[in-house]
Amino acid sequence: MAFIKFNGAFLRRAGLGACLAMAAGIGWANQSETTPSAPLAEPETPGGPLVMRRLTESQYRATIADVFAPDVPVTGRFERALREDGLIAVATSHGSMSAFSVEQYDVSARSIAAAITGEERRAQFVPCQPEAETKFDKACATKFVEQYGTRLFRRPLAAQERDRFVAVAKAAQQKLGGFYKGLEYALIGMLDSPQFLLRMDHAEPDPSRPGSIRLDGWSKATRLSYFLTNSTPDAELLRAAASGELHTHEGLSRQVDRLLASPRVAVAVRAFFWDMLQFDGFNDLFKDPTIYPGYTVAAAADAEEQTLRTVVSHLVREDGDYRALFTTKKTWVSRPLGILYRMPVATRNGWEQAEYPADSARSGILTDVSMLALHSHPGRSSPTLRGKSMREIFLCQKVPDPPANVNFSIVQDAVNRPGSTARMRLAEHNDNPVCAGCHKLTDPLGLTLENFDGSGGFRAKENGVSMDLSGALDGKEFEGPQGLGQALHDNPGVPACLVEKMYRSAVGREIASPEEPVLEYLLGRFQSARFRVPQLMRAIALSNSFYAVKEQPDTTPQRTVAVAKEGERS
Amino acid sequence: MADSKPARAAVAAIKLGAVGAAGVAAATIYLDNGSAIARAEPASPVATQSSPTLTPAVENVFRNGQAGFVVTDIAYALGPDGKAACPKGMTAGVRGLIEAYAKTPAGQRREDEPQRNYERRLGLTVHTAPDGQNLCMFPAAGGADPGWRMVHGRNLKVEGIDLDGAGTSKKAAGATCGHEEFQGLNGERGVDNQFYRVVGCTTGFQPTGQANGFQVEMHTGSWGILMTLKGVDDPRNDPEVEVGFFANSDPIQLSAARAPLSHATYATESNPRYRATTRGRIVDGVLTSDPVDVRFHNVVNSMNDDRELRSARVRMTFTPDGGLEGILAGYTPVESMYDLQFGARRSKTAKGELAPERLRLGTSMGRAGALGYSCHGAYHAMLQAADGHKDPATGRCTSISTQYRIRLAPAFVVEGASQSAKSALVTG
Repeated sequence: MAFIKFNGAFLRRAGLGACLAMAAGIGWANQSETTPSAPLAEPETPGGPLVMRRLTESQYRATIADVFAPDVPVTGRFERALREDGLIAVATSHGSMSAFSVEQYDVSARSIAAAITGEERRAQFVPCQPEAETKFDKACATKFVEQYGTRLFRRPLAAQERDRFVAVAKAAQQKLGGFYKGLEYALIGMLDSPQFLLRMDHAEPDPSRPGSIRLDGWSKATRLSYFLTNSTPDAELLRAAASGELHTHEGLSRQVDRLLASPRVAVAVRAFFWDMLQFDGFNDLFKDPTIYPGYTVAAAADAEEQTLRTVVSHLVREDGDYRALFTTKKTWVSRPLGILYRMPVATRNGWEQAEYPADSARSGILTDVSMLALHSHPGRSSPTLRGKSMREIFLCQKVPDPPANVNFSIVQDAVNRPGSTARMRLAEHNDNPVCAGCHKLTDPLGLTLENFDGSGGFRAKENGVSMDLSGALDGKEFEGPQGLGQALHDNPGVPACLVEKMYRSAVGREIASPEEPVLEYLLGRFQSARFRVPQLMRAIALSNSFYAVKEQPDTTPQRTVAVAKEGERS
Repeated sequence: MADSKPARAAVAAIKLGAVGAAGVAAATIYLDNGSAIARAEPASPVATQSSPTLTPAVENVFRNGQAGFVVTDIAYALGPDGKAACPKGMTAGVRGLIEAYAKTPAGQRREDEPQRNYERRLGLTVHTAPDGQNLCMFPAAGGADPGWRMVHGRNLKVEGIDLDGAGTSKKAAGATCGHEEFQGLNGERGVDNQFYRVVGCTTGFQPTGQANGFQVEMHTGSWGILMTLKGVDDPRNDPEVEVGFFANSDPIQLSAARAPLSHATYATESNPRYRATTRGRIVDGVLTSDPVDVRFHNVVNSMNDDRELRSARVRMTFTPDGGLEGILAGYTPVESMYDLQFGARRSKTAKGELAPERLRLGTSMGRAGALGYSCHGAYHAMLQAADGHKDPATGRCTSISTQYRIRLAPAFVVEGASQSAKSALVTG
């Protein structure tokens, strides 16, 4: 089996330079290059720095649901997530926490604590009963703090920490007059603590490599759990962390396989793809209801869900080839989406699995309403945004933003130019060589999706004119959305990009140049596993690199370029 | 879609063979049992080869000869407004009865009688039969309203179709009670629209009157109508097709601007009372159907009634977006029409129980005042104008010809296992 080479030099070639190079007729890097052998032995890597990662909204909610119960209310709002180099997961280790966010975390903490210690449910959650509600029961308070502190901080509390929260409980009881009020405030304190809100790496000396450090068992468990389940470590994983099993290959394998066999892995895959596909963009997405009447609020919400359901069912439940996401006819539909897809949906409330008809222009998630609408304008499609998103999301290429002084009037004026298509208007716009460079990257991909309007609905014509749906990717020419899907399916850069993104998401940081061999190794494993994503997750979770840390700050130039801001419209 | 002017333009576009404004290729697939179906969005428009030319959307609305539709607009097909149709003036209604009564000695304001009480007394008096019964609940207890005005005139052009065949056959006309007939919009003879004759001189029933806005409740999802076509080999000309009429057990899907959406999925109501199929045909792009009794739901003021139509039939043409528009016509039993549109005598709650008397009384008396008629006047006028289903025993007709102007959007019609929320209303 030919092996796809992970070409880091290509991936570093980002930004305007790439566009200009393209404009000058220089082809993109040799992504299709193959080498005859796969590096199936993991190379040594220096590891990354110890990081603190803020819980994402989905992780926060999942953690509360797992530690307490799914119906415990989380009433605070969550700050808009920062996206860096294409991933929110990477940005969780960067940036500050705003005053608004702290306030909202406290709002959530209060709602959670009130539910846990309130009269209705305290018997379910409080592990002991005080001798009298008016008298402080230190033993019971200590038990409560230890039980939930360990789950929330993902490690046992130090004696000093424990005593501090017990003291909070006592002080609150004295001021508010009830034992459970004391517990409530102790719990609020733990939920407001950075130890809960931030996943903090803790290191210890590595006995197998004197002079080096390694993540402690709790940090390994935390990293593993959020990667494979998008939630906090469960009791078994915490036990394994305490026993030191996670420092052995056998012990680690046992836990990894256990977690991968659980239904929670679907949650993790879903969370990763939500991030990778930039679905946070739905929060800002608006479509003109006059132009796109079928794009209702319900349809928008379901569009996001449809693609995630397709991803999870294909990759996890059916253990499918990742690349087939771009060609599969299988999908999920709901009644609101059926209007946009013009498909019958017998199920009145809910979802049903369906297939895009054989002669439909749709296949793969690129032709889902979610992807098509998300990367379009409110009132028209955008071959440029669609092409740009494909380059950035699935090929890990950075397409720079347009210059501030660019004139979009030719492209945008579809109304007053009857008989024109986006291809025609873009061709005129590209008379400007500064624009042409990047458009040559984006438009040949995006123009193949022009038979879908800005809401993702099918259209046979634009402005009454039939459309030229031909396109090209890295020198390979194709026709229409199905050709595009097949081109991405066959492009070796696609699985390589997934490997890179999933690894960066797992470790929560950019990757330094010396770590590139690890990506190559993981790509080899991915290819050997016939591009099965759970197998890639297993390879990452079992790799030494995933846990490797170094004591000194990393001064190596970052191999990826941080993206200042995502979501631009051109 | 809601605007009739573009709709008429659209029809013209079809006949001229022009491509519709939407220009969208859409394939609608009718499901019998929610089973798997095929094409939803064809890659290219289907070429048309014979007259009349239909848009690709119309061509693609059929799959395996089947298509589904949802009614998006429905209103009584009424003729010219009162200025043209009512040379003797408009129906005086409750207000006329009050004015007449106020001129009688008993109708004078009594000494020390507060104005409010006086007005209330006048209102109650004209709604009360000599035997003391409320005239909206017991319209037969009152006589004909002398202030009621009917539409007269054989030459008035009125939208609708010839239901009794009198326009072409005198023999057929003998099966109904004698009545004047209207001309169609294109001059065709024999249009039966006796309901228009009854209400055409009533202010609330003018073409844009409030009484003709009953589809509002359809757009809120309280009720709906589905239609299916099966066995269509050629949507331009087909001598035999199957036409289905069903109550919709799902709320109609609307855009943010509250415009009905095409290509939504709806389940038919499974109760056989709200399902009917009949034979039809398509000739030069015009769909007509054989008579069949149909029954739909209707909701006003949270009260439920049936909208019945006996010997119903359609005459429709395809719209460029793959929908249909035209006439649904038939005979509404007078008693049923009275309950539905005027009296609310047997209206039910959502649970299927008889609605509270206060609500039924308030609704029937309130709308009589607001729409410009009297309950007993409407009842007797309909009996007088009834032209269908002659009772052999009495020799009098029991139903009144009723014509609806309707538009339908392409939809996916499925046989849902789910029962309508209105199933409790069914008693028979």
